[in-house]
Amino acid sequence: MTNSDQRSVAIAAESELIGLLGKEIFFPTGLLGFPSCQRFNFSRFNPGDGSPSPFFILESADQEVSFPLIHPDFVAQDYPLQISAEVTSSLEAQSTADLVALLIVTVRDRVEDTTVNLQGPLIVNTVSLIGMQLVVEEYPLRHSLLVPAAQ
Amino acid sequence: MLILSRRVGESITIGNDVVVKVVALSGNQIRLGITAPREVRVLREEIFNAMREENRTAAAPDSNRKLEDVGKRLRSKTPERSDDE
Repeated sequence: MTNSDQRSVAIAAESELIGLLGKEIFFPTGLLGFPSCQRFNFSRFNPGDGSPSPFFILESADQEVSFPLIHPDFVAQDYPLQISAEVTSSLEAQSTADLVALLIVTVRDRVEDTTVNLQGPLIVNTVSLIGMQLVVEEYPLRHSLLVPAAQ
Repeated sequence: MLILSRRVGESITIGNDVVVKVVALSGNQIRLGITAPREVRVLREEIFNAMREENRTAAAPDSNRKLEDVGKRLRSKTPERSDDE
């Protein structure tokens, strides 16, 4: 049942995201818990004071819902992802080099409690502009963004 | 809820293209084999629920307001990042 045809994604660098700015990304199956949110606009998060920010915003064009995102490079030193042939094909990717990974940021009441969802990365094809949320059970659902993990 | 009895090796079908087969039984654990089209996501329920809840929390409308503070904190922390792991 397990498909061994898995390839590791060379997660495209953050600079690759520039090409996605202002674009509409289509998530055929929505995000988990948001099955009817399929169309999202991708933009950079611009702080009011004009300072540079590592965050992006994925804003639903179907409902009033938006998700803060960050590139994995800002979060984890080592975050390999295995992408199955099924995923590559669902995203209509010719090559895994076209794929970028983005992580959803969960902002909580206290700033220091902010976490990043390593278990549910969004994978986006920068060419076809199709995306999906993967579930990678071996990574944590809540990885602290600001407080180093005690390990 | 529909309840069916199955023996090891037997299956049930859901809709036109999902098959759930009882593969093995040991103690109070059952191993299931699931055949489904690739667009049908198959997850353990607790994983699905946790992910859905996390997405909902992340989508909270006041996230963006606080994001600015998070960004400031992250910037002040970044120089301390080390590569020796």
